[in-house]
Amino acid sequence: MENYRIFDSELEKLSHKVIQMCSQVNQQLIDVIKAIKTSDIALARTVISNDEFINNLDVKIDKLCQKIFALQQPVASDLRYIISALKINNDLERIGDHAVNVAKRIEPLQDYKQLVEEFGIDVIGEKTTILFSDVVELVKTHDLTYAVKIMNKAEAIKEECEDIASRILGEMMHQSEVVVVAANILIINNLFERITSYSTNIAESISFVVNGEIVKHKKHN
Amino acid sequence: MIVDKIYTENMFLYYSGKMALNDISIKIPEKKVTAFIGPSGCGKSTFLRSLNRMNDLIDGVKIEGNVIIDNINIYDKNIDVVNLRKKVGMVFQKSNPFAKSIYENVAYGPKINGISDKKQLEEIVENALKNAAIWDEVKDRLGDSAMGLSGGQQQRLCIARTLAVNPEIVLMDEPASALDPLSTAKIEELIVQLKENYTIVIVTHNMQQAARISDNTAFFYLGELIEYDRTKKIFTNPDKKQTEDYITGRFG
Repeated sequence: MENYRIFDSELEKLSHKVIQMCSQVNQQLIDVIKAIKTSDIALARTVISNDEFINNLDVKIDKLCQKIFALQQPVASDLRYIISALKINNDLERIGDHAVNVAKRIEPLQDYKQLVEEFGIDVIGEKTTILFSDVVELVKTHDLTYAVKIMNKAEAIKEECEDIASRILGEMMHQSEVVVVAANILIINNLFERITSYSTNIAESISFVVNGEIVKHKKHN
Repeated sequence: MIVDKIYTENMFLYYSGKMALNDISIKIPEKKVTAFIGPSGCGKSTFLRSLNRMNDLIDGVKIEGNVIIDNINIYDKNIDVVNLRKKVGMVFQKSNPFAKSIYENVAYGPKINGISDKKQLEEIVENALKNAAIWDEVKDRLGDSAMGLSGGQQQRLCIARTLAVNPEIVLMDEPASALDPLSTAKIEELIVQLKENYTIVIVTHNMQQAARISDNTAFFYLGELIEYDRTKKIFTNPDKKQTEDYITGRFG
């Protein structure tokens, strides 16, 4: 006999908020890439100001998880979902912060568009955003084929980021006049690498929800 | 090394021809706490009672298969049931002290087992009350009636009474379900302490209690053992959907 659980409405609320957070962070990434590509300073500022909404949502999700832990004593798949929701929420909030950190560096770069393109920062940003759109789908559907796709793509993006970093460092050593701007580009490159890592974390968390296995720190195939 | 204190093989139990336990095979390790969970009527208490032949007292009960304790089939014809119940003690849901003094409640078992030396009896009573974590609360009033104790104290007295005959296994049928949270916590703490010296098997409707105190958990449903595993596994990632649905409150 199936029982109606008061608990189910709380879980639905939590799931809805996590998906909302995901979509919001996704929009921030889309906007920040567009701002880099078009040197749109106004859009970069919008990204910065939109972070407050994400931060508020982060606190709401934390509180809801706390409430469920305290009042419902979740077990089994419910427990795994709430543990993961907390971690995913944390990862999403960090990705949101990184989008803001990228946005803050767009204005100083507006006169160096050629250098941005030369190092492929716009392209790596685009790839990171496409990767994150898979994260959104994964969080919505819990379909682990997305998780495998994310883990594999993330490896390739991270390698590319390492490549870009060594090219930037090379440029900095040979052309001292671009050191300041190149350092900025290096930081953005690093932020995209971090966003990729957080995307992998989220894929691992959803894998844990679905099959109960902790896959982090394992080599993904 | 983990020793299997109790194991059953293809055990079936019928009440007047109606099957109540269906093919139960389980290994219960020594000096661990094993919890039985499941909805009312699933057979968990029936199974618990069959581990010290308490079901023999019910008319029309028929048991098939083997119930082995320390390598001996307890349903063999030559088994002395009184000795079996000394070795496999039982604590019930409702505390049931005798209308006698606290001392007499605990000394009763050893006395009927032939111990008459006053000093020896005093020693047994003190140790049993200490092991049941109630000594400090009653040591100055051992002559008072057990009926004057609180519900939680009465239940710990009943545990002391069970321990006084020196069992190896203690079966507990919802030992804390009638107690307030503080008394429940004391009983739970006591159970965890007892597993150092005893094999504990507990039936509980309180899932959080099973999660808190047991090493292994068995989930019963409609007379069948659905899943049996480490408690940590059952409560984080059970293998069977029925277990998952029951512990998360989706049915039962």
